Amino acid sequence: MDNKKSQNDNTIDRREFFRKTAAASVAAVAGTSVLSSDAMADDPAIMHHVPWGQKWGDPVTKNRYGMPSKYEHNVTRRNTKLLASGNFQASIAVTPIHESMGIITPNGLFFSRSHGGVAHVDPNMYRLMIHGLVEKPIVLTLEELKRYPSVTRTHFIECPANGGQEWRGPQYNSIQFAKGFMSCAEWTGVYVKDILADLGLKPEAKWMLTEGSDNSEMGRTVPIDKVLDDAMIVWGQNGEALRPEQGYPVRLLLPGWEGNLCVKWLKRLEFSDEPWYCKEETSKYTALKPTGKAIQHFYANEVNSTVTSPSPEIDWSNLKDGDIVEIEGLAWSGMGTITGVDLSFDGGKTYVEAKLKGLVLPKCWTRWSYIHTYKKGEKLLLTSRAMDDAGYIQPTIDQEVSVMGVESVYHRNAVETWEVTETGKVNHVQMRTPGGVKNA
Amino acid sequence: MLKLNTRFMAGASVVAAVLLMAGCTQNSAEPKETKVAAKATIDGGVAYPVVNDKMGPYYVNPQVAAVAPKINNGRIPTANELKAWDKDIQAGGKGLPEGSGSVEEGEELYEAKCVMCHGDFGSGGGGYPALSKGNAYELQKTLTNNRWHDPEADGPTRVFGSYWPQASTLWWYIRDGMPHPKSKTLTDDEVYALTAYILNINEMEIDGEEIDDEFVLDREKFARIKMPNVDGFEPKIDGPDGLENVRNYYANPKNFGAIKVKPSERCMTGCQEETVEVVRIQGAGISDFMPPMSVVRDAPEEKKEEKIDPKEVYNNTCAMCHSGYLSPGSAEWKPFVAEGMETVYKKAIEGTPNGMPAKGGTDLSDANFKLVVDYVVNGK
Repeated sequence: MDNKKSQNDNTIDRREFFRKTAAASVAAVAGTSVLSSDAMADDPAIMHHVPWGQKWGDPVTKNRYGMPSKYEHNVTRRNTKLLASGNFQASIAVTPIHESMGIITPNGLFFSRSHGGVAHVDPNMYRLMIHGLVEKPIVLTLEELKRYPSVTRTHFIECPANGGQEWRGPQYNSIQFAKGFMSCAEWTGVYVKDILADLGLKPEAKWMLTEGSDNSEMGRTVPIDKVLDDAMIVWGQNGEALRPEQGYPVRLLLPGWEGNLCVKWLKRLEFSDEPWYCKEETSKYTALKPTGKAIQHFYANEVNSTVTSPSPEIDWSNLKDGDIVEIEGLAWSGMGTITGVDLSFDGGKTYVEAKLKGLVLPKCWTRWSYIHTYKKGEKLLLTSRAMDDAGYIQPTIDQEVSVMGVESVYHRNAVETWEVTETGKVNHVQMRTPGGVKNA
Repeated sequence: MLKLNTRFMAGASVVAAVLLMAGCTQNSAEPKETKVAAKATIDGGVAYPVVNDKMGPYYVNPQVAAVAPKINNGRIPTANELKAWDKDIQAGGKGLPEGSGSVEEGEELYEAKCVMCHGDFGSGGGGYPALSKGNAYELQKTLTNNRWHDPEADGPTRVFGSYWPQASTLWWYIRDGMPHPKSKTLTDDEVYALTAYILNINEMEIDGEEIDDEFVLDREKFARIKMPNVDGFEPKIDGPDGLENVRNYYANPKNFGAIKVKPSERCMTGCQEETVEVVRIQGAGISDFMPPMSVVRDAPEEKKEEKIDPKEVYNNTCAMCHSGYLSPGSAEWKPFVAEGMETVYKKAIEGTPNGMPAKGGTDLSDANFKLVVDYVVNGK
């Protein structure tokens, strides 16, 4: 769409603005409104001096690295034993996306998955080796790596097991655990292809091994197509150095692809004519189908979306009849750019078109919105469905399960539903045919 | 309500045809077909080529492409440096060092360094992965088990023997990632021995030869291992057609459960099967979240380090290993306690070669961790 045109279309002049707001105010006075509140008790938060207004605050010398308000202490990553492979070194802590604003996840809340614990790499001892089927192998220090001309891109990273515990039915009454195996950040680094321009990739190179220096020596195989498209080696996250949980000082970033492919604490890239078989691309991160065959090298996280407000965590139990409320959510696709999101109030039987808002970027969280007037006691089944510019649309649960079965673990992107009850509570439910649709 | 016969994933044309037949209402808003002349990528998505110094929505500096071939950063690694880091193992054992180890030696090592997490005979436990569930060839047949019609049915068994396509993965990961708390501490011979033992407990054969207690694995025999599920994966990535196979696989949405549709032809009414029901979370669901879920904005409790609950630390950290063996108050502690509690504390705080991580991987003070040790030893 033409931005300039849409802005002009939406412009209302100053005179019209005053006319409209005046009319609204008259209507408000006529009914019950905030202006006719003489019967209400005075609010102590207004009537008295507040404690922080009558004494010195902290000196600017405190907290050299700023911290969130102490009142935000419940906004944290969370974990569960179900997602621990024996311990919390090989485990995941997930993002409170019910508290996320915009499309950037703050670094302290970015979901954290490791296979051998979070390594603490001394940047002075950091080395990156690039070798194999290249004309010139190299070793880079961190300083030398950061000397390459940089690029900055905003991309989500998602664990392909996001929603993966719920193939056979809903399990978590929580958006943090049902959808929070992902985050989105602005990354700074260098395109791998820009480094390869100097090294000279040999024509027989088809695959790249990417290997971490952590306790698990995390490895994955990357096809050359991605390496020469948008694969990045990154050291910056939202304007500062990567956090240790994201691979400080350097990780691989394969925009849109499974998080585990974006190997952290990156140590080595090797090019070969044959693929490797790393542990995390055979024993895990393979999707078993009902045919008994499993999909390996399942790279991109497919088009997906969720309603973030309301959510099981932050529901509508405080809303009054007639309140105007914004239904909000996220949409994302590892295969391209979000082109639209539809919203259903009946669990995905019928849809209306929601509105995208803010920046709409490739392989990036995209915010969407729909304005709703709440009727006290109404029962809703809120389902969102996203599309991307590669042409994909989210399947129903029945559609996805009819191909993938229920044992795949990974890459579940069917539409998901929040049930709003009469009291405004929100529950995670699924709209599906019990036992699955009959396969011919 | 309109009934859509979309039981199978359908390509765009099929979906469109079904929608027309069913008279599904069209989206009233303007279509949002992509305008980017983006080329298809290996993953089934789209790429954004640089056009007019922009890559999609991002500006790029065109000078970079021109100078990139001349950016001469870094240095060439020495032969010894390459040897030190280039130690990966590929399919068929390509890259394996010389060495050997027997099933018997492997079992001894396993009992000393692995059993506390992976359980007796690799049966798993405490959330740690199982390494065997029995005969690999029989269990490979369970991979078609799918619990969509009957939740009580047996699911597929995905362990090393029944599922993994290549044995090289096992050898490589044991050497680099195991034992988990002290990785990269095994010799090559020990890795051969442990691999032999794991082949043994999976009841596997090499060229018809049974892998019994006397069996000695070496590089030559390793190359002849054929995993029961070697053909169980798609797309095929080996050989000269590997990349093309992957491209073709993801060019077809039916292969991976995806749907393509023109935005203007997407379903807006009657989009669910009539058999669909609202399926709710069974029982209490999963809610053992740490920390417990809360969206309250209050002043946090000042939690002093002195106030740890040893039982809570045990449950969250130690129980993973210390539940089957050396569990709280277990008689198995006797020989350790006989050496004196100071020795037990020292081992617990510093870690042991047999797998106990320093302070169990916690960052507690020594004094607090001793309280945890007291709990695990005495059970109170």
